[in-house]
Amino acid sequence: MLFPEDLLYGRDHTWAGIDDNIATVGITDYAQDKLDEILSIELFPVDSPIEQGEPFGIIESLKVTTELISPVSGYIISVNEDLPDDVGILNSDPYDTGWMITVEVRNLEGMDHLLDAEAYADYIDEVEVTDSKEVDPLLDVEEDVNYIDESEEVG
Amino acid sequence: MDTWRIIPFEQYDPFENIAIDEAIFRAGRQREMPPTLRFYGWKRPAVSLGYFQDAEREINCEYCRDRGIDIVRRPTGGRAVLHGNDLTYSLVAGEDNPHFSSDIVETYRTISGCIIRGLEKSGVVAKMVKEGRPGSGSAGAFCFAAAYKNELLANGKKICGSAQVRAKGMFLQHGSLLMDFDPVAVCAAIITKISAMEVEKLKASVTSIRENAGDDIGIDTLCRNIAAGFEEVLDIRLIVGELSPEEETLRDSLLESKYLSDRWNMKGRGTKNGH
Repeated sequence: MLFPEDLLYGRDHTWAGIDDNIATVGITDYAQDKLDEILSIELFPVDSPIEQGEPFGIIESLKVTTELISPVSGYIISVNEDLPDDVGILNSDPYDTGWMITVEVRNLEGMDHLLDAEAYADYIDEVEVTDSKEVDPLLDVEEDVNYIDESEEVG
Repeated sequence: MDTWRIIPFEQYDPFENIAIDEAIFRAGRQREMPPTLRFYGWKRPAVSLGYFQDAEREINCEYCRDRGIDIVRRPTGGRAVLHGNDLTYSLVAGEDNPHFSSDIVETYRTISGCIIRGLEKSGVVAKMVKEGRPGSGSAGAFCFAAAYKNELLANGKKICGSAQVRAKGMFLQHGSLLMDFDPVAVCAAIITKISAMEVEKLKASVTSIRENAGDDIGIDTLCRNIAAGFEEVLDIRLIVGELSPEEETLRDSLLESKYLSDRWNMKGRGTKNGH
């Protein structure tokens, strides 16, 4: 899994590429992998104020809508207009053509809360350990019983 | 043993139903709440739309309007469901709950496992789909036309359609179990193309509780059995509760600002990028 070293990362699995007071924002490789095939995206429009830790848009995959959480505070100055028509690039190229918004950052001190690539990779390891916690033993025992035989998948 | 809240079955106005689900979800984000399982029905028939669906393009709005079928947009993903003769469930919990995680597919699997147990008690043998199957053609807007990984089939036909919204460490999953299935009504309201072939395709891919368990099963029995399924599979205890004052306030505010608004129900947020 790829976490470029020139980016900063939020714990909600978005990245920020900082150039002076302008941040380019998108989702991480880990996020796109967990979300699976992304089908739709809706981003807040240009000029919207956004806050670190608060949403700047919504995406859908696997019949789930998930809020996109901003790693920075400021004003949206541009949105990637190509995404709605080619949302697959969020899965295939999340750090480059899959960028989502650029933000004029209001509070550069807020960057202290973000992680560098190494710290984010460690954080992912922690998340994975937590997520693999005690899956219900009864469900595990019954897993094969609960799944349909592929030959039955008709209709 | 963990205790969860259960809000027993009651029929509500279509807009209120979705507002209540979102109120429980939002309130849960703001403070520590035990997971909540809720059962509900629909006072009037309604089509619920997935968050990103295009109402005018994907369902037959004119047919719905002419027949008094309300259209309500959900905060969750997925596709359209025709409600009225179904049991709807919702579950709100935190990703940090020991039974759940941030993994979407795993959450579907856990909840499907509980519903399977409840259906079994009701005389319905349901199983999860391993890889899912796509919907196709003109039925693509209809939730039950496709089955995703870990959704439920009985006798090879879809019996429960579910969807989620996730934000700030919480999730809301709600889903519909059809008590009876009327493919002609679905074709007219959602598929927008009524033909004998479409009706036959739906009959071949969708089933209902009563088709599997017989005509005698009632919603109360089904609710009791599914609740027992959650208790047994997850080793929890469900305690009957009601909405908190905070949740009631949120419900009222969501109704006013969102779910009673044609703009939300027909267009969504209206701030879509490029849509």
